[in-house]
Amino acid sequence: MEEEDDQKVSDLIKELVLRLLSQNLTPDSRPIDPNSSDFRNSLRYAVRILSSRMTPSIAPDAAAIAESIKRRLATQGKSSEALTFAELFTKFASKSGPGSVNNKWAVLYLLKIIAEDRKASNAQLDSSLLLPNLALSDTELDNSSRVLRRLGTKEKGWSNGVLWVSKDPGNRLEIAFREFANLIKEENEVCEEVLVRDVLYACQGIDGKYVKFDKNADGYVLPDSVKVPRATRVMVRKLCELGWLFRKVKGYITESMDRFPAEDVGTVGQAFCAALQDELSEYYKLLAVLEGQSMNSIPLVLEKACSENYLSLRRLSVWFAEPTVKMRLMAVLVDKCRVLRGGAMAGAIHLHAQHGDPLVHDFMRRLLKRVCSPLFEMVRSWVLEGELEDIFAEYFIVGQPVKVESLWRDGYRLHAGMLPSFISQSLAQRILRTGKSINFLRVCCEDRGWADAATEAATAAGMTTRRGGLGYGETDSLETLVDEAAKRIDKHLLEVIYKQYKFKEHCLAIKRYLLLGQGDFVQYLMDIVGPELSEPANTISTFKLAGLLETAIRSSNAQYDDRDILDRLRVKMMPHETGDIGWDVFSLEYDARVPLDTVFTESVMAMYLIIFNFLWKLRRVEHALIGAWKIMKPNCITSHSFTKLQRAVKFQLLSTLRRCQVLWDGMNHFVTNLQYYIMFEVLEVSWSDFSSEMEVAKDLDDLLAAHEKYLHSIVEKSLLGESSQTLCKSLFVLFDLILRFRSHTDRLYEGICELQARTTESSLPSQDKSNSRRQLSDKASKPGSWIGDGRKALTQRASEFFRNMGQDLDAITKEYSSLLEGFLSQLPLQQHVDLKFLLFRLDFTEFYSSSVPSL
Amino acid sequence: MDPDAARTARESLDLTFHMSNLLDTGLDRHTLSVLIALCDLGLNPEALAALVKELRREPHASSLPATSTAPSRLS
Repeated sequence: MEEEDDQKVSDLIKELVLRLLSQNLTPDSRPIDPNSSDFRNSLRYAVRILSSRMTPSIAPDAAAIAESIKRRLATQGKSSEALTFAELFTKFASKSGPGSVNNKWAVLYLLKIIAEDRKASNAQLDSSLLLPNLALSDTELDNSSRVLRRLGTKEKGWSNGVLWVSKDPGNRLEIAFREFANLIKEENEVCEEVLVRDVLYACQGIDGKYVKFDKNADGYVLPDSVKVPRATRVMVRKLCELGWLFRKVKGYITESMDRFPAEDVGTVGQAFCAALQDELSEYYKLLAVLEGQSMNSIPLVLEKACSENYLSLRRLSVWFAEPTVKMRLMAVLVDKCRVLRGGAMAGAIHLHAQHGDPLVHDFMRRLLKRVCSPLFEMVRSWVLEGELEDIFAEYFIVGQPVKVESLWRDGYRLHAGMLPSFISQSLAQRILRTGKSINFLRVCCEDRGWADAATEAATAAGMTTRRGGLGYGETDSLETLVDEAAKRIDKHLLEVIYKQYKFKEHCLAIKRYLLLGQGDFVQYLMDIVGPELSEPANTISTFKLAGLLETAIRSSNAQYDDRDILDRLRVKMMPHETGDIGWDVFSLEYDARVPLDTVFTESVMAMYLIIFNFLWKLRRVEHALIGAWKIMKPNCITSHSFTKLQRAVKFQLLSTLRRCQVLWDGMNHFVTNLQYYIMFEVLEVSWSDFSSEMEVAKDLDDLLAAHEKYLHSIVEKSLLGESSQTLCKSLFVLFDLILRFRSHTDRLYEGICELQARTTESSLPSQDKSNSRRQLSDKASKPGSWIGDGRKALTQRASEFFRNMGQDLDAITKEYSSLLEGFLSQLPLQQHVDLKFLLFRLDFTEFYSSSVPSL
Repeated sequence: MDPDAARTARESLDLTFHMSNLLDTGLDRHTLSVLIALCDLGLNPEALAALVKELRREPHASSLPATSTAPSRLS
């Protein structure tokens, strides 16, 4: 069959040549003679062309060729023809079986190229005329010139401005490449493989044969003595950036590891080094693979690629792209973290992790997981066990050794410098509070129940109480854990405080005793302690007072109170100077022991003391006025004197008494209203607010804040605060005045009684004798008679006495009213709204504001 | 050849001739049929195309056989 085919082929070729030549005939030339030498030459030439190219240069895909033809037609603007062509092709392609064309792609390709050639030849300038056509003689000229000229004549055509180069027949390409290889060999002193190997060494930090680390240039360079083309030099420099970065990172790691024994690098730093070393081991793996490949020789341009992979500088730059990115990241982090430690280091690395590139993001995530694991471990152990093991001072919670009572307030605090940026402030506060609570429970309350609460919290948050439950990137699970732990431990703490240590009861007791809430007790106490306290301060014995306190307790409802509470109540004598009487230095105190003294600290108790003193003074004044009332009650002594005295004296007596009454009324009104205001509107209201806040308090901090507020509001409203200093002073002056009035009244009534006694005495011998004055005009009206001069003197003395009393009383009255006016005028200036209510009460009938227009 | 095959062949030739006209190759039917036959027999289409192009320029080359032994003389 083959000979047949061959014969057919040659016949066909002959036929083809004949026809093509015929086509070219001009009308006047003779027909082609198949036997002419022209024809034979052409035939030979045709055969040569056909035999030179045995394999086509494109893939045999008919559809692809049809597509490209169609596209070409379309781009030339012949879109209808493109459509027609598509139709034809589909019909053509569907034909199969005997009689159809088997190599459809070949036909199509043929048509395409012929069409292109034709187009090219039509558009071509007549360069083909200018260049010698050496088509038929090829043996005389040597290879290289033939390469060049062939390239010039036949292969380059300009078609619509586009250079059109097709595959060449013959070995021209190979010859060109061989020349190129020679050129390369001349230029390079060092072959590329050696350079590649040197670069690989440089990327591990080792100096290669030619590539060395240059301290001045701070990088790996090829020294100028080595003769390589500039392009290669630049490429080597670029590739060795990786080596420089590697050096930096490795330097940091070795430095840190040297410092480990000195305990200078914290746990976070150690974790960071370990993570870096892991990344570097990945890098080493890559380098090992590359080194294996670099052993293969680089094929020169002509040889086909061998089956093994080889490594050239360009290929190396592709391989190094990703490791360079990672190494650069590591170097940046190393620079940042050289001086940081602990939480600050984690925070700095976290800032760098905010990156959009997924490669960077994943890498940083892996790194951070390792770096933050010591931190998270510390958080976990702090929150679940209250343990703070921080040898290297890396944690953001700092503990200080303090006394037991200030454990809550000062024992632990946040160190903002070490707080990593992915833990928010509020979360940090919660963490601090939870651990503090555990420690508080453990130390102050000696309670063990928190351990159960902690395990419960851990299971609720889905992790165990052992190590390694948490990692970076799980900040929400950390938050959940902290929240659960905080909730339970706070609840437990409050339970302990309320039930075991009876916080509420103690607060109530303080209110009843220190804030004088237990009225009957206070009354009785004042009654029995009063006379004692009127002595100078240094003669009073605390022991005696304590005994009196006991008596007072036993005789009032306070005796039914809890013994524990009553034990804590004590008498306290404040440090006194000379001239103080007992009233000034007496106070009660309540002993709140651990753990309640976190709430009732020294300063808090001092505040209670101030309030107590004020209330005690107020009570004393009230007590004095009540005492005065007892004396001033109309009784037989005074009424008796009405009948026995002379008119003038009686008149004086009556007016004095009346004025005294009026003043007493005014003072009583003032004191009662003030007392009422303090007891009910200040103390009770604040207490009920505090009670309701105690109900809803979630943790000890809330409780402390509520108590502060309670005290503060009491102080503000009872004029003891900073802003009411002047008012307070005037109030105290008023109190002093009232006390003076009391003593004055005492004297007055004593005087009256004495007078009465004298007159009764003098009238005893004669029943109907009465006290009379010098004037004897009423002798007839009075049955009694004087005992001579004694009575006269008595009357005189009486009138003098009453006059003096009257004057004093006037003075007191005037002073009192002016002071009261001053007080009342200052009251509206106060900020607190409740004080306006005090003014309202005091001036209910607008008596003061009407008499003094300024109010 | 049986009539079916003949018909297929004719139709294929017609289609190919139509396509070649669309592409403006300047080939007539007979030449095209020879080319198709040669392609079918396995010849390289690139080579055939080059041949066609060469022989089309024969008006210049037709005088060359006379000059082949004297390359300096150009027509």
